[in-house]
Amino acid sequence: MSTSHLLLGLLSVGPQHGYDLKRAHDTRLPQAKPLAFGQVYATLGRLERDGLVEQAGQDRDGGPDRTTYAITDAGREKLGEWLAAIEPPAPYVNSVLFAKVVVSLLASGTTAATDYLVAQRTAHTTRMRELTAIKTTRDSTAGDVVAADYAIAHLDADLRWLQATLLRITDLHREVIT
Amino acid sequence: MKAATLAQLAVAGGRTDKVRMTFTAVSSAPAAVVLLAAAAVVAVPELGTEQDGSDILNEVYSNSLLREPGLRPGVVFTLLMLAVPVLFLAGQSIRFGSPARDRRLAAMRLAGATPGQAVRIAAAETAAAALLGSIVGTGAFLLLRVLLHRRPADGRLPLPTDVLPSALAFTGVLVLVPVLAALIGAFLLRRVIITPLGVVRRVRSQSPRLWPGVLILVGVFAPLVIRPLGAFLARLDDTAGGDLALVVAFVGVLLAVAGVIIGTGWIAYTAGRLLHRFGRRPAMLLAGRNLMADPWNGSRTLSALLAALVVGAGVLAYRAYMVTHFAVTNEALARREDIVAESDQESFFRNAVDLVRIAVVVGALVAAAGIMVALAESIVARRRTYAGLIAAGVPRGVLGASIAWQTLAPLVPAVLVALTVGVSLLRAVVPAEATGRGGATCSGGPSDCYPGSPSWVEHPVVTRAVPVPLDDLLVLGGGAVAVMLLVVGVGLLLLRRSTDLDELRVA
Amino acid sequence: MTALLQGTGLQRSYGPTPALRGIDLEIGAGEIVAVTGPSGCGKSTLLHCLAGILRADAGEVRYRDQDLGLLSEASRSRLRRTEFGVLFQFGQLVPELTAAENVALPLLLAGSGRREARKAATLWLGRFGVGDLADQLPGKMSGGQQQRCAVARALVTEPKVLFADEPTGALDVLTGEQVLTEIVHIARQQGTSVLLVTHDAQVAAYADREIALRDGVVDHSGLGLGIGS
Repeated sequence: MSTSHLLLGLLSVGPQHGYDLKRAHDTRLPQAKPLAFGQVYATLGRLERDGLVEQAGQDRDGGPDRTTYAITDAGREKLGEWLAAIEPPAPYVNSVLFAKVVVSLLASGTTAATDYLVAQRTAHTTRMRELTAIKTTRDSTAGDVVAADYAIAHLDADLRWLQATLLRITDLHREVIT
Repeated sequence: MKAATLAQLAVAGGRTDKVRMTFTAVSSAPAAVVLLAAAAVVAVPELGTEQDGSDILNEVYSNSLLREPGLRPGVVFTLLMLAVPVLFLAGQSIRFGSPARDRRLAAMRLAGATPGQAVRIAAAETAAAALLGSIVGTGAFLLLRVLLHRRPADGRLPLPTDVLPSALAFTGVLVLVPVLAALIGAFLLRRVIITPLGVVRRVRSQSPRLWPGVLILVGVFAPLVIRPLGAFLARLDDTAGGDLALVVAFVGVLLAVAGVIIGTGWIAYTAGRLLHRFGRRPAMLLAGRNLMADPWNGSRTLSALLAALVVGAGVLAYRAYMVTHFAVTNEALARREDIVAESDQESFFRNAVDLVRIAVVVGALVAAAGIMVALAESIVARRRTYAGLIAAGVPRGVLGASIAWQTLAPLVPAVLVALTVGVSLLRAVVPAEATGRGGATCSGGPSDCYPGSPSWVEHPVVTRAVPVPLDDLLVLGGGAVAVMLLVVGVGLLLLRRSTDLDELRVA
Repeated sequence: MTALLQGTGLQRSYGPTPALRGIDLEIGAGEIVAVTGPSGCGKSTLLHCLAGILRADAGEVRYRDQDLGLLSEASRSRLRRTEFGVLFQFGQLVPELTAAENVALPLLLAGSGRREARKAATLWLGRFGVGDLADQLPGKMSGGQQQRCAVARALVTEPKVLFADEPTGALDVLTGEQVLTEIVHIARQQGTSVLLVTHDAQVAAYADREIALRDGVVDHSGLGLGIGS
């Protein structure tokens, strides 16, 4: 997922300047890593260079000059392509957790790997509890809930994997050291 | 499915299944005894020849029912009829499924058995138990034959203990009892659906119609209306009016009997509604709602009990009439200073009435046993709800009380109505007062004997109102309620066993 | 935090099969504790023992310094319907009673008048969003609506401890989530302790703390979840 597609999407409702775009991003995608201003402006610059957005005007609201950007037809086309494209479902097993377990078995043996898995499980559970607490707060928005749901589901998947791996750790160890 | 497989699956049950099998066996045994008794009567030799027909009395027996060839088929028929409800009871126990059997049958369906096969497995269990019962019954019959074989001074036997039913009859009974019990059982399972996921009891959910209730009310109030109506009609037309009143009375009471027997569902539903409306305690609320939700539960057997009570009450009323009748006759004779002795007529009457009373008691007991099976079935079907309630802290006593209310609330009014209808049925057809004619005696010669001559003595006519036999009715009704209390007691024992918290564990 | 409910050295077998093999646990007032573990680990049995539904073979259960093992069946029944609330996966409503009557039942047992009980029942059904179903029979409701009624019944007596055994096991994700959220809200509001038995990590995440069982003991590899926090 790229920031440029996100910004194109946010601009599709109407012209906005960089500050608005950052705010819109952070409210629409709660619990995501917040966008830095620098990144917003850099991406806008790249999109303008490729003809996907264009400057739509300047406004000065007591502060510094602010440039408003609008999406171009080419930009809409690009956005449409991205939205229609199917994301490949997990093509590679590319998890830090998995890598750590294997490496830890190689380097230090089952005890260290088990300790890691248990500690990681605790961390996952704690995070899951925090996210669930967000969901049960009365003033949480639908966006908060959907974002928390996404994370919880992934944590749950990790937790199942952690649990199963704890039970398979000796088998895995035997395989790794031979 | 091979017969061996069927037999093996049929008797694979646990402890509760043993209870049911014992129940089936115990109720099959008397059926076998009664059928063999019928076979023994059949075996009484016919003394008639081709020319003489079959009119020759068999003087071996003291009982005229056995002595007269023309009466013996009637005895056989009565015995066969008596076996029917007993067999029904044996077959009915199939519906009282233990949780374990329900799960076993469901598991068999899940493993690929067809619904028909599952029913056959259940019916085979009934057949096996009934076979055991008929073997025991045959043994009991042979034992009774020996024990009852007593020849009094006049050398005449009271019972046909000198003849043995044919070997064919013995085999027939041994085969017939299990087969009939199994067939009746399979028939009664038609409302029980064995699905792979559990056993579902289909409940007739439509609320009962009003008309049986109307019939019952007609029956209860009929006695109040019939006599004034008769008097009114009699004033219009002396003879036809009286007959008409009699017909009206008879039809009205007959309708009421029909109402009582068809209307058990209505009685249960109405009792439930009243309990729910006016009950203050949770047990009454539960019982009321249960009755309203399934008023037909056990209604068939309740009908049988009520029918027995209607007949019983009628017999008691008839007995009260006859007793009064004999009393006034004797009194009239006593005034004439005749010697009073119990007439032949009186003793024959006593014997007949006693026989009917025994039949009523047996019928009521069989019906009560049937109600017990129905109650057991409903407790087992609700066991998970009960287990959940107990886990939530509902005391067993409250559940027990709700079962008692649920059984007795419809029963007590139904018994009262049945007794009232039975009595009014009889009182509509027999007079309300008994009259003993003193007649006249004449001390002179034939020429002096005319009304008004000095030697002609008119004795007074003794008339007395026939009392309602309240004591006897109380014994009958109280007996029925007492038997039902016993049934409730068995239900409570079963409740204890069915509310194991294991029910919460089985999803 | 002082323990409201405390189990020490709990053991319980079904015939030769041990379900609990010595379990210690404490629940504080107002605390929501999840007991997790694979099926057959003894978590339901633990709940039954702690709620006084089953007697433990060994060990003791104390509720407010009262030893449940010393109480008669009748006293434990009373405790369950006044101080505790119980909630199972399904099948706990009386099918013949309406929703309001089901919820009113514990109050009636406690001696409330019918009108008063009915009022409270309607109120609680309303809190769980099924107030308009007060006069419906459970058979006519969806699984989620039935479970809301069951929650209302478990909470209508304002119990000190709610025992919930897979309360959302028979519900779809969203309905389960709503039911759990409602339980958490009410528990926070009333200071009710909750013992939540589940095999689902997402359900367990509603709790403040998790105790993982394995083969009838507290799972050592899961110990970090059980203590502290």
